[in-house]
Amino acid sequence: MSVASRQLQSLIRREVLRFVRRPYNTFLPPLITNVLYFSVFGVILGSRIGTISDVTYIQFVLPGLVVLGAISNAFENASFSIFHGRWNEYIHEVITSPLSHSYTVAGYVLASALRGFIIGGLIIGVGFLFTSIPFAHPLYLVSFGVITTTLFAGLGVIGGLIAEDFDHLTVMNQFLLRPLVFFGGVFYSLDQLDGLAYTASLLNPMVYMVNGVRYGMLGMSEINPNTSLVVLTAATIVVLFVNLVLFKRGFGITD
Amino acid sequence: MPPAIETVDLVKEYGELRALQELSLTVEEGEFFGLLGPNGAGKTTFINTLVGLVRKTGGEARVFGYDVEDDYQQARDAIGVAPQEFNVDRFFPIREVLEHKAGYHGVPADEAAERADEVLKRVGIYDKRNERFDWLSGGMKRRLLLARALVTDPDLLILDEPTAGVDVQLRHDLWELVTELNEEGTTILLTTHYIEEAERLCDRVAIMNEGRKVTVATPDELKGRGTDTIAVGLESTPASAPELGPYAHETTLSGDRLEVRVDDGGSIAPRLLNDLEARGYEIADLEISRTSLEEIFVDLTEREDRSVTRSTAESASDGDESETSETDTPPKREQEGVA
Repeated sequence: MSVASRQLQSLIRREVLRFVRRPYNTFLPPLITNVLYFSVFGVILGSRIGTISDVTYIQFVLPGLVVLGAISNAFENASFSIFHGRWNEYIHEVITSPLSHSYTVAGYVLASALRGFIIGGLIIGVGFLFTSIPFAHPLYLVSFGVITTTLFAGLGVIGGLIAEDFDHLTVMNQFLLRPLVFFGGVFYSLDQLDGLAYTASLLNPMVYMVNGVRYGMLGMSEINPNTSLVVLTAATIVVLFVNLVLFKRGFGITD
Repeated sequence: MPPAIETVDLVKEYGELRALQELSLTVEEGEFFGLLGPNGAGKTTFINTLVGLVRKTGGEARVFGYDVEDDYQQARDAIGVAPQEFNVDRFFPIREVLEHKAGYHGVPADEAAERADEVLKRVGIYDKRNERFDWLSGGMKRRLLLARALVTDPDLLILDEPTAGVDVQLRHDLWELVTELNEEGTTILLTTHYIEEAERLCDRVAIMNEGRKVTVATPDELKGRGTDTIAVGLESTPASAPELGPYAHETTLSGDRLEVRVDDGGSIAPRLLNDLEARGYEIADLEISRTSLEEIFVDLTEREDRSVTRSTAESASDGDESETSETDTPPKREQEGVA
């Protein structure tokens, strides 16, 4: 293994151990939240809503809840880890090391994406307790899982670098991320929207994620999954590039 | 072999504030180099520029020949830094913190674990290896910073006020350890407020003030720039102080005690005694005291302050934008002349 690989591995190891060793903060909350979501939206309300495009309501909302859990955790992991490191200045341990800028970005993004991916998997596991999942296109499911968690881990890196207070992290999570998810077709079908609302929804990246994961799990999608993959991949490349530029400039880290 | 540290006209500006002003310094490989200066002199800014925590505004900075920005990976790999502030990962036991740090430098996991144990033993906190940073005492935290700097086996060890606020025992332990490291070949850059520390440890010291280099010299050279005081006890109280030759910069009489300020007390004393006896003074005792490095330091930085203030005032009145020149001249004796 090369020196650079060992450097990257060390950063990923540190980042993964940080969330693995705190399951009450990282794994348990999304599990409980999703049991509640499935119980209320799936079982109690879902029985009154009936089916959407031939799938039960609980099956319909499941992909959206997987996306919600996965991206929230990917974003939160990267943003918190970086911001907390800045706040307490121990991010200097990384910055003063010979890790390249690109490997530093890779370390934070990959570890955070992994957390999002694991949480997404756990939510699918919870979903199994409430309904059946056909996994119509597993490769698409994995692809969308990887790309969405990577994208939001990258956004989390930006959030962690630009935040100046813990409040800013809350603002990003609650006032930006959550509305995008709720208006991203998690709980309703885009077909129910009129022309303007439908068009506006297409500007929301969440719509592509939710539909892509829904296609992978249920085989149904309101948007061509390949189009979604292209849009999300392009967005991810842009975000990772921004990450790299920020680290190169030492934004939020160096004076 | 290129110098361990080489900066040329290094500048760092924070808006209007110039934290480093055309700072040119060279620290040779294997040297124990001290950076002295009052608070705000720019010592920490200088260090942070080398390790990538501060981006320079202008000039050049190299570590073992590697530019700190263009070749940042090689430059940072050579440096171990123990900062002034506690900036340690609070999430992990300290042994793991050290393993991670070694890993960031590309050390294989097995070796990183061995090194972590080794440096924890070396700084004397091995029994605390499974504790987290927050649970350590102040002195142990200071030791851990040193351990973290050492775990990557650096060629250049930077210690930013390592003994600030620590007890005497720890201070001596640290002195012993860094002396050992220097003898083993590690180049050491030490910033400190404690003049005694610099005098005891450093091959050369640079005195900084307001982002400028005031002077660079060995502690002995610096002390040589000060004057000595020969205190002579007289058998009887004379009416007035004697007229002495030009070797006496200042003569003060206080009762039966005469104090004469000279360049080199050891060589001047016999001549002074002869002169006093020739003038009829009876001598009871004699004592020579050297100017301390601390006095030299205060004198140099105060003179620099006056120089900067004067230059600023002149610039303001003349509309002249010329820079204040570096002050690298001896203190007191050349400035004040003969009393």
